Amino acid sequence: MTNHYKQVGHSIPKIGITERLTGAPVFSADINLRNPLILRVLRSRRHHARIRSIDTTAARTIDGVVAIFTAKDIPGKNAHGIINKDQPLLMGDKVRSLSDPVALVAAKTDTAARKALDRIKVDYDDLPAVFTPEDAMAPDAPAIHDKGNILFTRKIKRGDPETAFKACAVVVEKTYRTTRIEHAFLEPDAGAGYVDDDGTLVIFASTQNPHYDHQAVVSILGLEKDRVRIIQTATGGGFGSKLDLNVQGFIGLALYHLKQPVRMIYSREESFLATAKRHPLTMTLKTGADKQGRLIATRATIICDTGAYASYGIPVASRSAVHATGPYEIEHVDIESHCVYTNNPFSGAMRGFGTPQMAIAHESQMDLIAAQLDIDPLEIRKINALSVGSVTSTGQKLTASVGIGECLDRLGPYYEQARNEWLKEGDIPYRKKGIGIGGMWYGIGNTGTKNPSTAKIKLTPDGRLTLYTGAADIGQGSSTVLAQIAAEVLGITAESLHLVVADTQRTTSAGATSASRQTYISGNAVHIAATACASALIAEAAALLDLPASALVLSDGNVIEAAGSTRRVDFARLASRLLEKKKPLEWHGVFDPDTTALDPETGQGVPYATYAYAAQLVLLSVDTLTGEVFVEKVFAAHDVGKAIHPENVIGQICGGVVMGLGFALMEEYTPEETDSLKDYHVPTCADLPDIVPIIVEAPEPTGPFGAKGVGEPALIPTAPAVINALAHALGKRIYQLPASLEKVLAVSIETGHYGPKEA
Amino acid sequence: MRIHFNLNGKAIAVDAPVGTSALSLLRDYLGLKGTKEGCGIGECGACAIEVDGKAVNACLMFAAQLDGRTVLTVEGLETPSGLHPIQEAFRDHHAVQCGYCTPGLLMSTHALLAEKPHPDHDDINTAISGHLCRCTGYKNIVSAIEAAGKNPGGKN
Repeated sequence: MTNHYKQVGHSIPKIGITERLTGAPVFSADINLRNPLILRVLRSRRHHARIRSIDTTAARTIDGVVAIFTAKDIPGKNAHGIINKDQPLLMGDKVRSLSDPVALVAAKTDTAARKALDRIKVDYDDLPAVFTPEDAMAPDAPAIHDKGNILFTRKIKRGDPETAFKACAVVVEKTYRTTRIEHAFLEPDAGAGYVDDDGTLVIFASTQNPHYDHQAVVSILGLEKDRVRIIQTATGGGFGSKLDLNVQGFIGLALYHLKQPVRMIYSREESFLATAKRHPLTMTLKTGADKQGRLIATRATIICDTGAYASYGIPVASRSAVHATGPYEIEHVDIESHCVYTNNPFSGAMRGFGTPQMAIAHESQMDLIAAQLDIDPLEIRKINALSVGSVTSTGQKLTASVGIGECLDRLGPYYEQARNEWLKEGDIPYRKKGIGIGGMWYGIGNTGTKNPSTAKIKLTPDGRLTLYTGAADIGQGSSTVLAQIAAEVLGITAESLHLVVADTQRTTSAGATSASRQTYISGNAVHIAATACASALIAEAAALLDLPASALVLSDGNVIEAAGSTRRVDFARLASRLLEKKKPLEWHGVFDPDTTALDPETGQGVPYATYAYAAQLVLLSVDTLTGEVFVEKVFAAHDVGKAIHPENVIGQICGGVVMGLGFALMEEYTPEETDSLKDYHVPTCADLPDIVPIIVEAPEPTGPFGAKGVGEPALIPTAPAVINALAHALGKRIYQLPASLEKVLAVSIETGHYGPKEA
Repeated sequence: MRIHFNLNGKAIAVDAPVGTSALSLLRDYLGLKGTKEGCGIGECGACAIEVDGKAVNACLMFAAQLDGRTVLTVEGLETPSGLHPIQEAFRDHHAVQCGYCTPGLLMSTHALLAEKPHPDHDDINTAISGHLCRCTGYKNIVSAIEAAGKNPGGKN
């Protein structure tokens, strides 16, 4: 297909790559400050306890200790949280989980700070604690928060599932469980700060949402908005965890009191202990289909363990409910998703917000139903795939850009080849081969709530253009993609566009870098701002050249006659003319996707303006003697609407697949056990399968150049495809993740595959 | 304790307390922030540097062990004409996302190519198996190293 665009659709060098290749000091731990104090936090190491007293007297006498702060030193509101402000910065009356911060130490050296932590004496009265949502929901369970332990329930009701089940040819009911997952980004949480000459607290942070950080710090410190400035530094991965306030509040508190430079870097162990985890979900699905394999009804009960604090618990419960059908049309649904507090480490956002967990359940159900009806797994997905005109479980009619059918179609030839050839190749007697498919859909942006983004384009008198965006690029490449969108509209190269990114004093909010929303939502805000700028330039040029605006286009820093004549005027001249007319040389863009809130009782509404779709095919073999799983190939077809930067899309797909393999096969965070990278294992290049990314472009009419998103979708189909392939290989299904060596070996033994085999 | 060694082509002498790690020496005493700390226990490879031609985790080495050795860090990779061919290969093959693992991977690649200018897939896998990357899924990193091996002089 010919690409008519000059910027969009081209894999230009990533913005900021040279700094990363040369080791420039762009991360929070690297930023040069004059003799910064080192901050460390004392954490409770208690599951649930009342604080009787905190004695910092002995700790204060340690040489090098400058200050120790507790809850009483917080000048504003001692509470943060993206939706529910239920998390104190420093605990005042009680602690609810092992990592709860109790005191903040500022010291001249890290050694002194660590010594001080050992010398702070906290008296606790232990309280009964609960570690499963089921226990926490019991009527006599200890209350973790004043409002009770059930944080939120999302209900989605449509049609009459109970009657519909009776008419089904097959009904499958199963329970699936996933575990707590650590994000394990490479850069442990870090930040730094100083107080500016005018008294502004300047905070550098490794973050996914600087504008939220700003609101939170302002509220904690009780300051005027312009007294706090958050600047996102290079962020070494986030995957959802750096959406929460991690170091930012502590840095703000220390700056507020001490007015001297500070730095705070979590050790890897602290990053594991103190930051959000993926919500463990328990999902019971009852799914019914007719004889032809058409899904008729589903009932789902989902329980999300949000741990001690809400963080992104509500979006996870809500999104898992909305996505419980998978990318399939089901007329009758009864879905309830509960988000429950426990005394476990808090759960928050992690790449997919509950959708990766949910996909384990709905994709396993698809294979179980297919097997009962003797229908091919790829075929049953095609039969049920959403398409334009489909109505989702929330009653939303899909009107465009529904690429799941094409994703499945694109896997078809590989699937046939795998079944007819690959499966029969290489006959190692103790190896069993399996093929598995996983499908997914993913609503772009927040669920049924407003989530606008803003952007600004500014023209200098000498004709140079600057894009201002609050969107935090955490490595996925949003700055590059947003620059490409602006540059395409403005007829310049992305490299020649100046960028100001994620600095609350200079940019306006683009919302969080989460929910795969920056390309679609911020991309649209940028597109709107750039289009306004382009229109103004064209209008001015039209007057100057005495040509109709419709005859003019932007090209290489000029407005030119589209017909290709030599009549042109450069941006600098247009800028000076606009200035003479006292017109402002900046243009703003705001975009908020067209959604409606979900009805609290029925869940009916339009939660997302658009959805990404994907299907992946996994080919693996299992060593039936050891339980080791060798994932050989992953074919990953993703409908992204339009790939603004194809290599970024491929990079997201490959990274997502490998993270998905970790989720499927090895990752499980157990507090106080897998508390470092020594014991918490993530995939290495030795686990890397042959990945074949397949980009599908079902254009989204409301997207910038048709684009949607891919960051989270990349991960979602992998684990279900692995679980389905394992079931295919061994003839027995695993219902609880991860499918670890031990679990796979146990299945191998149960199914009679274990033991000596003759070649 | 005074340590003498060759750092990125220059003989240097630096004072640091006994027990200082090589990583801390580079970052805190010499101000070279390119070498990253990811775990502090030798599991992630973010702090890899080259010592006498071998890639090592700087977090697991004492500063004193650098005495008399030849050390290369990411800051020493660039040439007067610009990026090192390995850096160019990482750029051209889109092997960098967040970039936190990148300096360590560049150093392991540099050590690998010095020993085996044309590594095969297994050589590459072995050389970078001690590195974690959570963003890229490794595929483009492996491609970049393969390309750097095929074209050691870079584009020019």
